[in-house]
Amino acid sequence: MNYHYPAGTVRALLETDQVTKPTRQALTERLKASSDQPVFFSTEEFSLLQAVCDRLIPQNNQSERIDITGGIDKRLTENKSDGWRYDVMPADGDAYKLGLKGIDESAQLLFQQPFQNISAEQQDFILKAVQTRQAPGDTWQELAADRFFEELLAEAVSTYYSHPLAQEDIGYVGMADVPTWQRIGLNQLEDREPKSIGQGE
Amino acid sequence: MQTYSTTEIVDAIVIGTGAGGAPLLARLARAGLKVVALEAGKHWNPITDFATDEKEQEKLFWTDERLSAGNDPLPFGSNNSGTGVGGSTLHYTAYTPRAQPDDFQLRTDFGVGEDWPLGFDQIEPYYNEIEQFLGISGPSPYPWGPARKQKYALGPLPVNGAGQLMERGCKELGIKTSPAANAALSAGYYQEGVGHRPACANRGFCQAGCNIGAKASMDVTYIPLAVHFGAEIRSESFVTQLIKDSSGKISEVVYIQNGEEKRQRCRYVFLCAGTVETARLLLLNGLGNSSGQVGRNVMAHPGLQIWGEFDEDVRPYKGIPGAIISEDTHRPANADFAGGYLLQSIGVMPLTYMTQMARGRGLWGEELKQAARAYNHVAGINILGDCLPYAHNYLELSDEKDIRGLPKPRIYFTNGENEKRMTAHANKIMRDIWAAAGAKNVWAFPRNAHVIGTCRMGVNPDTAVVNPDGQSFDIPNLYISDNSTFPSALSVNPALTIMALALRTADRFLEQHK
Ligand SMILES: Cc1cc2nc3c(=O)[nH]c(=O)nc-3n(C[C@H](O)[C@H](O)[C@H](O)COP(=O)(O)OP(=O)(O)OC[C@H]3O[C@@H](n4cnc5c(N)ncnc54)[C@H](O)[C@@H]3O)c2cc1C
Ligand code: SF4
Repeated sequence: MNYHYPAGTVRALLETDQVTKPTRQALTERLKASSDQPVFFSTEEFSLLQAVCDRLIPQNNQSERIDITGGIDKRLTENKSDGWRYDVMPADGDAYKLGLKGIDESAQLLFQQPFQNISAEQQDFILKAVQTRQAPGDTWQELAADRFFEELLAEAVSTYYSHPLAQEDIGYVGMADVPTWQRIGLNQLEDREPKSIGQGE
Repeated sequence: MQTYSTTEIVDAIVIGTGAGGAPLLARLARAGLKVVALEAGKHWNPITDFATDEKEQEKLFWTDERLSAGNDPLPFGSNNSGTGVGGSTLHYTAYTPRAQPDDFQLRTDFGVGEDWPLGFDQIEPYYNEIEQFLGISGPSPYPWGPARKQKYALGPLPVNGAGQLMERGCKELGIKTSPAANAALSAGYYQEGVGHRPACANRGFCQAGCNIGAKASMDVTYIPLAVHFGAEIRSESFVTQLIKDSSGKISEVVYIQNGEEKRQRCRYVFLCAGTVETARLLLLNGLGNSSGQVGRNVMAHPGLQIWGEFDEDVRPYKGIPGAIISEDTHRPANADFAGGYLLQSIGVMPLTYMTQMARGRGLWGEELKQAARAYNHVAGINILGDCLPYAHNYLELSDEKDIRGLPKPRIYFTNGENEKRMTAHANKIMRDIWAAAGAKNVWAFPRNAHVIGTCRMGVNPDTAVVNPDGQSFDIPNLYISDNSTFPSALSVNPALTIMALALRTADRFLEQHK
């Protein structure tokens, strides 16, 4: 089943008193965050990472882009951790730099061009090969390709879906909890919960 | 709040204020002891500090990096480690089932694992006391285990969509279900020394912190009680060293507060820093390890989750996440494994679901976005099963330093044959339940939850770190009270039993030091 939710729901709720002050503050900041120049990554690495993230989580609406790579750069700049890493992996920042190098290396070996110059289908082919540990290149001898892909995807996804616009896309309004939830059973909706509008794309 | 100076010799220092530290702290304070809690994390004010937003609430997780090794590396951070006054209870889901009597004697019954050096009868009175004090909501009678001496403090919480679906599927298959016991209030509740706490708002956000105090995390229950009885809570105080005097007892605890090294003198120390940090502190300081068992026997409950999409609107962010339980699989007939597990329905917050989907299903591109749009229609069930202690699962100090300049812990974890068989058994049952309930696009997320072990309790100083009272065999004025002392993992969520053991340790200590 394809669901499709109306735009604007979370933004409208943020204007109301159905959201607590700390919640509004966190989400509004995220909504208004501007994209900065990278600090941790070089400009080349950063634009490669952007190209990769565009395939992992395609964003069709160019006017309302969610900045995934900026979030990753910021975390690595601040040297923040999520509390653990796979022992087989190098430190997060090194893993990112090495993995990006590997992606370009695989693209060169398979398509004789850097990742950013090949077609979307070819890009997906490379990424699938990385995910399944089948991508060619010396870099992947040093770095567990599947783990790198898993970590990258998890961080991209968590950055993307923490954004109010992405939450509108999936019809999530759980942040509007001030009135409490009374209608919680199957098929029971409160007025502030959006319904799926038809079958979507 | 009462405060003590660092030059004063306080009766006891409690390191860590989670499920193992907070109840004990309150008990010692009530007895009139001068007690100071040293807690690495912050003391939050949930109303002003907690947002209904998972990213913002990452501040509740212990994020000093740990290295996860073995064939089934354990994720830490959001998966099982909290920090702050209240410890991991700040973000526990609030499931509070009791262990059953046979959980404490796995070796007697199956010839594998370990028996506990104390039985259910010694824990039960504390279960009763804690359930009343925290205001646990649950059904009376409760369908499994020995008859309860007392009803749950409050009736069960309302059942959400995931819970209804589990009831539907289980009914079809003849599996008995019941509303679960949860440490969240189904009605307003008042306790002397704590004050009034409001009923749960059904906001499904327990794992990212309760902003109204309906969930019985330690910061809104045993901590205020401890303060009421004169305990001092020193937050943002990271303990680095335990200093022994010439008699071999610990006389001083060294900690870092606001970048400054401080020392507190004391008569007794209660180490309650959780499975990983308790073992790490002992190893760093070379203490309490004549048995060689510190860091050994790491266990983590098999916690396989089965997710499915339903035609109905579920909105998995509403209601207490774990509304429905079944313990019919506590000792399944004809099982090819030792012990057993319980089944729980699960609601889920969006980021948790999306990142699990990324890791577990490996979805990306348009496929991911489409699956994400089904979020409002997903529901899960998971198990929580016993895990055997193995020599191949342990914690060690690595050569890598963390942001505090201390060696990162490396934790090896690989499920054994018993956990694999149990998980396979559960995979089939849960898929059957979800099929019977009408699920589509069913997928499994394998995981292990709760880190347990590393400082096992026992009666033999050669094979255990602490005795059944939680007292170190090597250092008489050092006690441990947290998830590290469990000799076996038990087939239930651990927090209630950790609290029960904490009160028992405090009572045994007070009896011996009258
Ligand atoms: C997402 C999640 C959901 C969970 N759900 C449930 C559930 O539904 N039911 C259940 O029973 N259990 C659940 N648990 C597990 C439960 O929260 C833990 O088992 C329990 O809190 C462990 O208690 P503890 O006292 O061992 O450690 P903790 O509660 O983790 O407390 C340890 C404390 O010590 C502090 N500390 C550590 N090192 C130092 C140091 N060097 N100096 C000073 N302080 C230090 C830490 O900051 C922390 O506050 C869940 C856990 C998580 C993460
Ligand atoms: S579901 Fe209830 S107990 Fe859990 S966080 Fe929300 S209000 Fe608190």
